[in-house]
Amino acid sequence: MDITEIKSQRVGDSYYKINHPSGLTIYVYPKEGYNSAYAIFGTRYGSINTCFSVDDGEKITVPDGIAHYLEHKLFESEDGDAFVRYAETGANANAYTSFEKTCYLFSCTDKFDESLEILLDFVQEPYFTAQTVAKEQGIIGQEIKMYDDSPEWRVMFNMLEAMYKNHPVRIDIAGTVESIARITAEKLYEIYNVFYNLNNMVLCVSGNVTAEQVLKIADKMLKPSEKHKITNYFKDEPYEITEPYVEQTFPVLMPLFNLGFKEKADKLFNEKQNAETEILLSMLASPTSALYRKLMDANLINNTFDYELFEGPGYCSIIFSGESRAPKQAAEMIKQYITDMKNNGLNREEFEIARKAVYGEMVSSLNSVDSISNMIADCHFCGNELFYGIDAVADTTFEDVSARLMNILDVNNCTLSVVKQAEE
Amino acid sequence: MNSINREEIADGVFFSTVKDSRFKTMRISANIILPLTEDSASANALLCGVLTRSCKAYPDFTLLSKKLSSLYGADLTSSVQKSGDCQILKITAAGLDDRYTLDRESVARELSALICSVIFEPNVSNKSFSEDELNQERRQLLDLIDSEFNDKRIYANNRMIENMCGDEVFGIKRYGTAEKINEVTPTSLYETRQSVLKNAEFEIMYIGDSPSDKAKSVFKEAFGSVDRTPVSLKNRVVRRADKVNRVTDEMELSQSKLVMGFRTGIASPNAETNAARLMCAVLGGTASSKLFCNVREKQSLCYYCAARYNMRKGIMTVDSGVEGENIEKAEKGILKEIEDMKNGYITDFEIDAAKLAVINSFRTSNDTTGGIDAWYSAQLFDDKFKSIEELSAEINAVTKEEIVSAANKLTLDTVYVLKNR
Repeated sequence: MDITEIKSQRVGDSYYKINHPSGLTIYVYPKEGYNSAYAIFGTRYGSINTCFSVDDGEKITVPDGIAHYLEHKLFESEDGDAFVRYAETGANANAYTSFEKTCYLFSCTDKFDESLEILLDFVQEPYFTAQTVAKEQGIIGQEIKMYDDSPEWRVMFNMLEAMYKNHPVRIDIAGTVESIARITAEKLYEIYNVFYNLNNMVLCVSGNVTAEQVLKIADKMLKPSEKHKITNYFKDEPYEITEPYVEQTFPVLMPLFNLGFKEKADKLFNEKQNAETEILLSMLASPTSALYRKLMDANLINNTFDYELFEGPGYCSIIFSGESRAPKQAAEMIKQYITDMKNNGLNREEFEIARKAVYGEMVSSLNSVDSISNMIADCHFCGNELFYGIDAVADTTFEDVSARLMNILDVNNCTLSVVKQAEE
Repeated sequence: MNSINREEIADGVFFSTVKDSRFKTMRISANIILPLTEDSASANALLCGVLTRSCKAYPDFTLLSKKLSSLYGADLTSSVQKSGDCQILKITAAGLDDRYTLDRESVARELSALICSVIFEPNVSNKSFSEDELNQERRQLLDLIDSEFNDKRIYANNRMIENMCGDEVFGIKRYGTAEKINEVTPTSLYETRQSVLKNAEFEIMYIGDSPSDKAKSVFKEAFGSVDRTPVSLKNRVVRRADKVNRVTDEMELSQSKLVMGFRTGIASPNAETNAARLMCAVLGGTASSKLFCNVREKQSLCYYCAARYNMRKGIMTVDSGVEGENIEKAEKGILKEIEDMKNGYITDFEIDAAKLAVINSFRTSNDTTGGIDAWYSAQLFDDKFKSIEELSAEINAVTKEEIVSAANKLTLDTVYVLKNR
């Protein structure tokens, strides 16, 4: 077994990265003095993986929303429900499916070993029947409808649909009531057997635990997986957005917008590129920035205004979002500001402030065992290392960020999505 | 386990320190507690926002933001909550602990000074706040009120409380009304500030590794020059519902929302609240609760169906998102689970699971500065602060009979439906 300790002088913490013989990569980040521990068991498989092949075999296409459906059904086994088993340890358990991963998690303050056994057991023991699969249609159907009524969710997906022509990031994670009707027990087993292979998965634990403790359970519970080559297929995605503007009417009193800049997405950002982009975005649009001030003074945004680097396999965009009573004017002001910034160059003092702010926020996030475990899982699936990301922020220079600005935020390649009240 | 050290530094002003070296950050919060009234709620809420926008030393929003960013992205935030018949204005400063700054700056010292200055040296001249700052904050607050309509789960819950507590103080919204917000002027806001400083109860909480002495003495000195006459805080609890009040609204939506409000007859301070809390957890507080297992899993009626207990008001709320045609079925399903509890159909497994889940959430809260703040803030109206161990022991001592007895005190007050069309 190959165990590496990864230390950070700067933050005074360390974690362990273990290549377990079963094929699973395990991370353990002990937090001294904590009551709780948080474990996350995830697979590199999300809503966008709808077309794939194994060992260069035939291409397989599956219904939209199946990754999320599988997440719901995995909690059930032949002799009952994982939640009922967790009820005996007191752990607070949950799961989520995103565009590129599915994760099962729990947090607990007692009986960690038992809870970890439950987690590793039920995720490795699928049990699907026609009856149990059918029963979930009603529950997930209501989950989909809940999101259909969420203006925040709709404004984002409308933007992704208008921005991406082919990439499945444009499709709702849970699919549609129609697409999930095509899901069967056989299809669930088929994707389970491909993607829930330990070589494609990660276990991240942080908090009141030791590496020895986790390994003892892992050795007992993990069933070695044979490594296969999984290839995911995405249709060619043009650089250009499809539509510059999209709008939906909705029962809302406060209109919302998402302004997304589509970026090149041939390769995922490394730690350095991430650091440069985060600092740049903080300079551009944090409450400290001149743009934020201009937008506020013109009453075009309120304090829900936010920004995000949104990227994964085959997609990358930078999204500005918030509530606005005049979204088109807000978008114009943002675009004009970016153009001016590119023409006039960045300000060194603003860079120094943003670098410190981003650094402080990253170090602060190491307070929380759930953010640690989730961040490590994200880094793992991108091929990055958590602490290197923090060092990268500390080491980023003004010139690096200036160069980055020239490579992103093309004002001629963005989509504005608006959700607003129907006009009487 | 940390402990809290609370000291009265002026009449009705308490300063508490929780010394804890586990975190990368420190946190100071000021809870400003006032009676909830129709006349004052809006002005108080506005004041809370305006105070955290700027101060004498950083007289506009951008200057203050820059200061916070240069303190390693520190936060200075405000929030307004209702706790029973009180309004709590909360101002919080949080930032990197001194041990982790790149150039060894003391963020703790600067943040302590900053939170004092927003309270005691605000951006005022001639007994008047800046009109621009007030108008910006007014717009934020009006937007916030409108945005509560956007989220239909929150909106439906608010509508239920509005109907259930329409004749009570608790029926007043935490931000008051748009009308009252529009009436506030730069000078009236100044008067609001003077009266808040004089009349509110203050609970200041300092959580972190760096010493709190400096911050404490600054607050003590500042309050020394305030002529304090703290008002007494009241909380009226309605114990029973005599009849069921039904309200339905219709809207263009995919899903309908059902919200049921119950009077529990049990409110703090009362030892029975522990039994009521567990009763609520058994019913719908966890993923192994009666509502989750039956209404969601067995009947496939919904994605969420959850119960929450407001201990200060003695109100239990059950809410769910369902298909329009299934509203009645869901209501029956929920009432059946409650009926079962009243008749004693609660297993040891369910009770143990609820106890473990409740205690797990207590213990987990101790692992973040925000969680520690929330733990003690939730007890501001109690006789004394209880530690996690003390309250956990009390939870563990609750018997099945006590839970069944709590269930038997439940009366259904209001059923609110937001029906899709």
